[in-house]
Amino acid sequence: MSTVDIELRKVRKVYFKDRLEIPVLEGLDLTIAAGEFVVLMGPSGSGKSTLLHLIGGLDSATGGSVRVGDAHLEKMSERERTAWRSRHVGFIFQMYHLVPVLTAAQNVELPLLLFSMSSSQRKERVRTALEVVGLSDRADHRPNQLSGGQEQRVAIARAIVTDPDVILADEPTGDLDAKTSEEILELLNLLNSEFGKTILMVTHDPRAASHGQRTVHLDKGVLDREELNPARPRGAAAMVS
Amino acid sequence: MTLTYVLMQNLRRNTLRVVLTAVAFALPMAVFVAAISFVVALAQISADMEKELRLGVHHKTTLTNPLPAGMRSKIEALDPDRRRIAAVCGMRWFGGRVPDTQNTLTSIAGDPDTFPLVYSDVGMTAQDIEAWQRDRRACVVGRNPVDTYGWKQGDRVTLVSTVPPYLQLEFNIVKIVENRERANFFWFRRDYLVESMKDAGVDDARCNIFWIKCKSAEGLRTLQQDIDALFANSPDETKSEDENAFVANFTQAMGNIPGLMQTMAMVVVVIVALVAGNAMMMSFRERTRELAVFKAIGFQSGRVFLIVLSESIMLAMGGALLGVVPAAVLLWLLPIRLTGIGPMIALEVTRLGVIGSMAIALCVGVVAGLWPAFQAMRLQTTDALRKVA
Ligand SMILES: Nc1ncnc2c1ncn2[C@@H]1O[C@H](COP(=O)(O)OP(=O)(O)O)[C@@H](O)[C@H]1O
Ligand SMILES: [Mg+2]
Repeated sequence: MSTVDIELRKVRKVYFKDRLEIPVLEGLDLTIAAGEFVVLMGPSGSGKSTLLHLIGGLDSATGGSVRVGDAHLEKMSERERTAWRSRHVGFIFQMYHLVPVLTAAQNVELPLLLFSMSSSQRKERVRTALEVVGLSDRADHRPNQLSGGQEQRVAIARAIVTDPDVILADEPTGDLDAKTSEEILELLNLLNSEFGKTILMVTHDPRAASHGQRTVHLDKGVLDREELNPARPRGAAAMVS
Repeated sequence: MTLTYVLMQNLRRNTLRVVLTAVAFALPMAVFVAAISFVVALAQISADMEKELRLGVHHKTTLTNPLPAGMRSKIEALDPDRRRIAAVCGMRWFGGRVPDTQNTLTSIAGDPDTFPLVYSDVGMTAQDIEAWQRDRRACVVGRNPVDTYGWKQGDRVTLVSTVPPYLQLEFNIVKIVENRERANFFWFRRDYLVESMKDAGVDDARCNIFWIKCKSAEGLRTLQQDIDALFANSPDETKSEDENAFVANFTQAMGNIPGLMQTMAMVVVVIVALVAGNAMMMSFRERTRELAVFKAIGFQSGRVFLIVLSESIMLAMGGALLGVVPAAVLLWLLPIRLTGIGPMIALEVTRLGVIGSMAIALCVGVVAGLWPAFQAMRLQTTDALRKVA
């Protein structure tokens, strides 16, 4: 079980719109220990998604450094970041974004098409991933035959099927009712505690936040405060850092 | 599962739109294949005829304006040593059809002595020639009428002329021509026609055209000039053309249909490209986010470009196949070839037509998919994903 830490130093992100500079992140520092489950909160438009995308290598920072495990993202090209992402990062989105014409199993298999792997190996991986999210019996269903919660489980299976080190979840329960949200959050907890995934999750929901070990608050371009969740003590690795 | 499978599934996303787009491809492609086949068939005939070194002499103004039969000996006199001329055959249009049918056969009366020489490509054996010369009612028939009316060698057949004096004549089939370029023809002896007309009270031995078999291409060219010079300023001014030019003229007489068809096909292809381009753009817009997820998962931009482009190409090729295959089958089944548009005998789907239309479909697919594919490649994953909330 490889665990990976994340370190952001003096990260700046400036968007340009009509030649106007729109600063979103202004010298942000963040350290996430290997195997930690961190919740990111903040007002709408504060740059939470931006931060997630920077860590996942979907976008590059205007300044500062972003390190995920051994990967120094600020030194990598877009191509390199994309290749790296396919092996090390799993994204989960609010709207699941499944391919409607593919079955649950096929959706989960999609990221594996980038791996040189026999089809039986791929099938095995897909089976395991669906088992972890508890959807083995829905493998051949299409997204429109699944509930929102089930769709999000498929999306989670798709995110973990490549066995990434880091899971980045952008409001994964934003579209779900309380009970289903709870199940999804339990699932993320399981991935963190049993499989050692380092998780960064964006949420607006304080109850959702209570599933993380630590909550950081983003406002006006920096993390202005953080609180530990006493109910969920940090793992040993996190204590050391 | 393979990426190709994913692509195929994508086409099922909006079945109605895919079907409509495919049909928008299919129809013009069918027309296109037919048009190309038509043009190719004509070109093929021209190419085959060029080898035959035949020179056609007809009235300067039109083919329907007959020339006196005596012209044959005047033409022959131009080359007493027979260095340039192999044989001259006077021909008269009969325009006959089988009683109670509609299709006029390319039925023509020719000089009995020289016909086998001038039409050497008909491939008459010594035996055939003997039969042809022995029997005044002999006729030589191409494959199409034979197949249509179930004739065979030795049969006695009847044709009614569609031109005055509307003779009804009986013939004996002495040879069936296998040469495909000659599949529509029905030749018989001009002496038989002249006598029958005389019996009907019409004394007219004139010819519509004299075909001259030449001994060399050089001889053909000089003869062409000499003949037209000989009859210049006479009441029967002539125009001599090699067979190729003759076919080209014939084509022109049809109002340049091949050219028209080609232009039409091109216009339609452009329209199809626009239709397909629009469909591809819509299908791309509908799933920018999904494509963004492909990128988030780790698909490189180039690969996403290819995914969108491939989908467009698959749609185009599929649509084209949908048109080409039925067109091929239809042309093969329908007896268009039997209507005999002049020298046109076999209108069938050529390999060039099929390959050409598929190549065009490929191009249209690429053109239609290029812009959406480019957009997909440039897609800012972060922006596309953010628009959700
Ligand atoms: N491509 C862009 N161009 C200009 N501004 C952008 C762009 N993308 C995001 N922004 C701005 O950056 C800010 C942060 O966006 P985002 O990270 O999506 O916020 P959050 O996820 O916290 O709601 C917002 O004010 C948004 O308008
Ligand atoms: Mg956001």
